[in-house]
Amino acid sequence: MIVVPQPARESVAITGIGAVSPVGNSFRDIADSLLAGRTGVRSIDPGAFARESHQFAATVEQIPAPPPGVCPLDAQGFADLTRLERMCVSPVAHAIADAGFGPQRGRLRIGLVLGLGAEHLKTWELDFLAGGTQVFTPRPADTLVQRVARLMQLQGPAVTVAAACASSGYAMALGRTWLQAGWVDACVVGGCDVLSPTALAAFYNLRALSRRSDDPAKASRPFDRDRDGFVMGEGGACFVLERLSAASDRGARVYGELAGVGMSSDAIHMVTPCSDSTQAARAIAQALADARVTAAEIDYVNAHAAGTPVGDAAEAGAIRLALGRAADGVPVSSTKSMSGHLISGAAAFEAVACLAAIDRQAVPPTLNLDHPDPECQLDHVPHVARCRPVRVVASNSFGFGGANLCLVIRAAA
Amino acid sequence: MHASIPKAEAVSAACGVAGHALVEARLSEIPVLRDPPATPGVPTLPARFLRHCDEQTIVGMRAVLAAIAAHPEPRPSFTDYGVVAAPCQAGRIATAQSLAMLRTAGGVAVSPHIVPQCSLHSLAGAVSVALGMHGPNVGTSGGRQAVSEGLFTALSLLTAGSATAPSIPGVWLVLSGWTAEPALDMDGKPARGPAADSAAFDPVCRAVAVALTAAPEAAGTGRRLRLRMPTAVRIARQDDDADGSAGAADEILAFARALAAGDDGSWSHLCPWGADIQLGSGVAAAGAAPAAPRGQSLREAA
Repeated sequence: MIVVPQPARESVAITGIGAVSPVGNSFRDIADSLLAGRTGVRSIDPGAFARESHQFAATVEQIPAPPPGVCPLDAQGFADLTRLERMCVSPVAHAIADAGFGPQRGRLRIGLVLGLGAEHLKTWELDFLAGGTQVFTPRPADTLVQRVARLMQLQGPAVTVAAACASSGYAMALGRTWLQAGWVDACVVGGCDVLSPTALAAFYNLRALSRRSDDPAKASRPFDRDRDGFVMGEGGACFVLERLSAASDRGARVYGELAGVGMSSDAIHMVTPCSDSTQAARAIAQALADARVTAAEIDYVNAHAAGTPVGDAAEAGAIRLALGRAADGVPVSSTKSMSGHLISGAAAFEAVACLAAIDRQAVPPTLNLDHPDPECQLDHVPHVARCRPVRVVASNSFGFGGANLCLVIRAAA
Repeated sequence: MHASIPKAEAVSAACGVAGHALVEARLSEIPVLRDPPATPGVPTLPARFLRHCDEQTIVGMRAVLAAIAAHPEPRPSFTDYGVVAAPCQAGRIATAQSLAMLRTAGGVAVSPHIVPQCSLHSLAGAVSVALGMHGPNVGTSGGRQAVSEGLFTALSLLTAGSATAPSIPGVWLVLSGWTAEPALDMDGKPARGPAADSAAFDPVCRAVAVALTAAPEAAGTGRRLRLRMPTAVRIARQDDDADGSAGAADEILAFARALAAGDDGSWSHLCPWGADIQLGSGVAAAGAAPAAPRGQSLREAA
């Protein structure tokens, strides 16, 4: 790649957080829930088109309106948005407010990258379920990201990215690249997703969802011997990223540093996780190298582990391959046991979980890990949080199309 | 569309163009294209690989294969390449059919392929899987800004990396869209219309595939893509009710023509955020002197 003289790659700080999730809608609430082992999985109204007479999912009860002064929408204007739009606008607005960017942000080149893997599918479906016909006679429209950028008066690059269940992590990686290249002054990154009948049915028909029907709290069982699929969730998270020097100059709160990124593709199958962990391990190793940390310096791995039989075992193999003997002493957990699988929003939400671990100096647990699968031998954190020093965290995300991603997040110096 | 014309800035990034191809197919022709082609010297896809793919994935995949076939020997290894794909409103026909089935038969009738094969990531994932590319694969945009977001994302991926985690050697960029969104009946099936109105009832799906190299000198063609980023805010985003799909298809055609024509500097694209992407020749020097300010008329001069 050319050539352009750039300053040394500068550290990228996380200075704002906004989140909407089944276990809370603020950093504090989410941290409280995850470290207390509270699940957001519940029985849901299956609706007229449901695949089963009952279904479990991790739903968002209420999407908070944007804080005053950040976004020109009033309460009614926000309520008039579609559920997907609200799920997207809310964390963006809260992240900007949390970072302390007021009206002066119009003078900054602030980018926006959101992971939205199925924006059009969800938009058409929401409209269809409300009696509309957009999917049959679509009206051309800008993407949600372009509309949110206009709404929030963000003047930098605005891009939607999709890497299936790793989408919002790719968004974080892209925003970090823009900052390090000097293309933006700050960047709002993240992603979200909403539950829908089609998505529930499609994943069910793929045999990717848990078919448990007894107790919703027991359905999501990452790494457990008796796991049988994931539980869908909804929600997501957004962050404000800035160069660390700029954040320090303006006295911003720094939640952590997005210190490293690794990305790769299995190139084996469009759906089935690859049982050969080589490429997933390569993404983890790249992220560690990018962050200039060794495997022994990792204090916690937030696993992608959704609770699928093949995927969890493959990830355990990837962690072992990437971390080597250090894996014996690195706590690993899957917060999807509490949040469900937020699909496009999962990677960003799990970055919140990583920041919570750093903030609280404790590793969130994997619920329902009653009998760890011998194929997933790791230093698990079953049932209850583990207090320990947490300074450097790795977070894995994998998706359809063989997409692999690892983020390394480090405590602020 | 843009409230102001940005001043051109120094080159922020550049990459080489190693190969390219444009493929077009009418909606009525696409079922035949689901059978993978057998092209000498080009990787052979598994027999059923394209069976459940979105129409834009099929045409986009053909474009990548055509670009590989057209690449002079010896071809580079694409094993470590990434893939960036920017389809425009991908998956609509399959979604319409799924929703129609959902209404009549319930969730049991929803295709399990709709999420993996008809989402925004699907075209990039399919190219990565089919051709064994281990760099990152990512879908982008999905809307009328597909060309802006696709080019910008590809250049971003090539810019990523560090001394300790080097960048990928190249990216396959695939841009795709319809000349007009296919008309569908209420079952989600393509609507039939008079042959004379083929633009509406049998529109063209268009895809251009471009192999971009991180090291411009490695491209061999002498063609470069250069990105100039604004160093200050000067663009005000405005609403635009233009036809997004056809607009993207037109931009794809202009880009493909410029790639084929080899006109130095004859194609330039202004992103809504003020980034300017030019296709040209020669090696871009670090911080090259900015070109004269240009207006939107040069956005598609070819």
